[in-house]
Amino acid sequence: MTDSPIIETERLKRDYKSVTAVDELTLSITPGELFGLVGPDGAGKTTTLRLLAGLLGVTDGEATILGFDLKSQAEAIKPHVGYMAQQFSLYGELSVLENLQFFAELFDVTKHEQQERTERLLEFAGLTEFTERRAADLSGGMQKKLALACTLIHQPEILLLDEPTTGVDPVSRREFWNILTELHVQGTTIIVSTPYMDEADRCSMVGLMYAGKLVECDTPQNIRAQLKEDVIEVQAEDWQAAFKTVAGLKGVREAQTYGETVNLLVDDGKKRLREIKRALKKSKVEYRSIRLAPVRMEEAFISLIRKMES
Amino acid sequence: MSIRHIWAVTRKESQHILRDRSTLILVFFTPTLLLLLMAYALTVDLKHVPLAVLDLDKSQTSRTFVQQITAGQDLDLYASAESMAEIEDMLMRGEIKAALVISPGFAADVQALKGMPMQVIIDGTEPESGGFAVEHIANRAEEFISTSLASQLAAQGFSVDTLQPVDLRIRTWFNPGLKPRNDIIPGLISMVLGFPALSVALTLAHEREHGTLEQLLATPIGRGELLIGKILPYVVVGLFNVLIMPLLAIAWFGISFNGNFALFFGLSAIFMFAVLSMGVIVGVFMRTQAAALALSFLVVFFPGFFLTGIFFPLASMPEEARMESLFLPGTHYAVITRGIFLPGVGLEVLWPNLVMLVVLGVAFTLVAALFFKKKLA
Repeated sequence: MTDSPIIETERLKRDYKSVTAVDELTLSITPGELFGLVGPDGAGKTTTLRLLAGLLGVTDGEATILGFDLKSQAEAIKPHVGYMAQQFSLYGELSVLENLQFFAELFDVTKHEQQERTERLLEFAGLTEFTERRAADLSGGMQKKLALACTLIHQPEILLLDEPTTGVDPVSRREFWNILTELHVQGTTIIVSTPYMDEADRCSMVGLMYAGKLVECDTPQNIRAQLKEDVIEVQAEDWQAAFKTVAGLKGVREAQTYGETVNLLVDDGKKRLREIKRALKKSKVEYRSIRLAPVRMEEAFISLIRKMES
Repeated sequence: MSIRHIWAVTRKESQHILRDRSTLILVFFTPTLLLLLMAYALTVDLKHVPLAVLDLDKSQTSRTFVQQITAGQDLDLYASAESMAEIEDMLMRGEIKAALVISPGFAADVQALKGMPMQVIIDGTEPESGGFAVEHIANRAEEFISTSLASQLAAQGFSVDTLQPVDLRIRTWFNPGLKPRNDIIPGLISMVLGFPALSVALTLAHEREHGTLEQLLATPIGRGELLIGKILPYVVVGLFNVLIMPLLAIAWFGISFNGNFALFFGLSAIFMFAVLSMGVIVGVFMRTQAAALALSFLVVFFPGFFLTGIFFPLASMPEEARMESLFLPGTHYAVITRGIFLPGVGLEVLWPNLVMLVVLGVAFTLVAALFFKKKLA
């Protein structure tokens, strides 16, 4: 892409008393990106998003958002940004409609636009039939969707979402991501932090944070391709026996079970596939299937974190 | 400043107050409840203090004296004791607060105008009741002996007028009857009307605690707009209470309101402004509702009790305390409520307090605005 970056940070730093939460973060995000921010708990994802939303003072470094300087023009940035905090809490005593109205007024959305957008957003979020319900009485998933609708009411150019789907059921999570994808298609720049690797896979760019630093920043495909190991998937009725047989074999770096499936991270897929088949036969463990599986984000992520930790 | 932003916050805050029943009761009726509770707890007029009598004289005169002192509602004759041990026992059990021991020869001494040999024993753990009993008995004794003297003189043909060389006729102004309630209730009103300050402190801390403040700070709303929008509903609540309090004082406690009501309302509104900005400062600095509550008590209610001169005259306080009290809106407002209620004075007397309330209100607002940042930390 040739567009100039919409968000650019240069050695951005934020300290809390004795802890450095974000450490010399250098980041460049082009307009229209769906950027996934991943990393273990405490890596600095929330602090990064809060910094970009202008909610925290910058300790050191530079950042420019939409051409505005984050340090001196934070208030000028706010009308263009939609920020959704991790513990987003709506005003429970207010109805769905009143919550939307409240944020519309704070973002100076005209009455006319407000009416038209409210209708569209309610439909978008599947909340049309709950307009009069108090926010406190909505389910967790609906609250998240209402929260997103509130952050979209002023049609921000940039969306900053801090773990928006944590604690949401899989169906609502899927719906939420469908909305994000639609916004992405419409051209909104989205930065979303997430603990879920399948969500990271849906992003156009993924940034991995570790100990306050951005240690990796690439497309999901490239991040997955970085994994030197291969994945072998074994499906067996007696998966406990299969697990015990293969977990300790030579070249097997890691073994994980998912129901009746055992996932193995191995140094050389083709070579180990033969060996594992042989070992299973020798131990008389029946298996339904065994194959070289595509690398998922999760394996790539764990492998990168392991590398960091060592 | 955007009126639309302020109104959005004010409307949201009002909806919260009106729809949450516990908040509604808390903000609208706590001052009333506090006033009722405190007025009754603090203005107990002493009556019916239990007294035991050990009459060692057993004469007509001593019996008449005992009858006289226990005739009204002040002292109740709990028991006639037979021995000192019995009195001690009753005092230990807390059945009586005072005991009167009449010495042998009481009647003869009174007759001879030599005095009134008797002893009053009081329970020192309750000095109020004990002191009241001593005072009451002493007054009655004085009356008793002068009546006795007068009747003796009259019997001998003297005029009784000469017995009282000084004729004191006391008129108490502003509070005839010297009822403590008449003075304490206007003072209490000044204190309980500070209560909305606590609500403001709590509402700011509540938003911080629940994470809604984070969302608010991410919007383009101005700091001043947010603070003003949040204060306004509590100004209305405060003024509602300003209307209720005098009604309660007049209708329920029978206190006369001698001043100008419009002046009272106007000055109360300025007091609201000062005390609410104090609440905002608390809310700006405290991270949690628990901390905001504790600090509100420390800066609003505790000094309200001790430093505003409601219960302890400011004149009797050390210089430091008097200085400190000048910086509390409650001190000035207490002068205003007491002044307008009883003597019914106007601005010609109260203007320095009005000036101080305005100065404090403006200063607190500036401090709050200075320290309230649109940042999380």
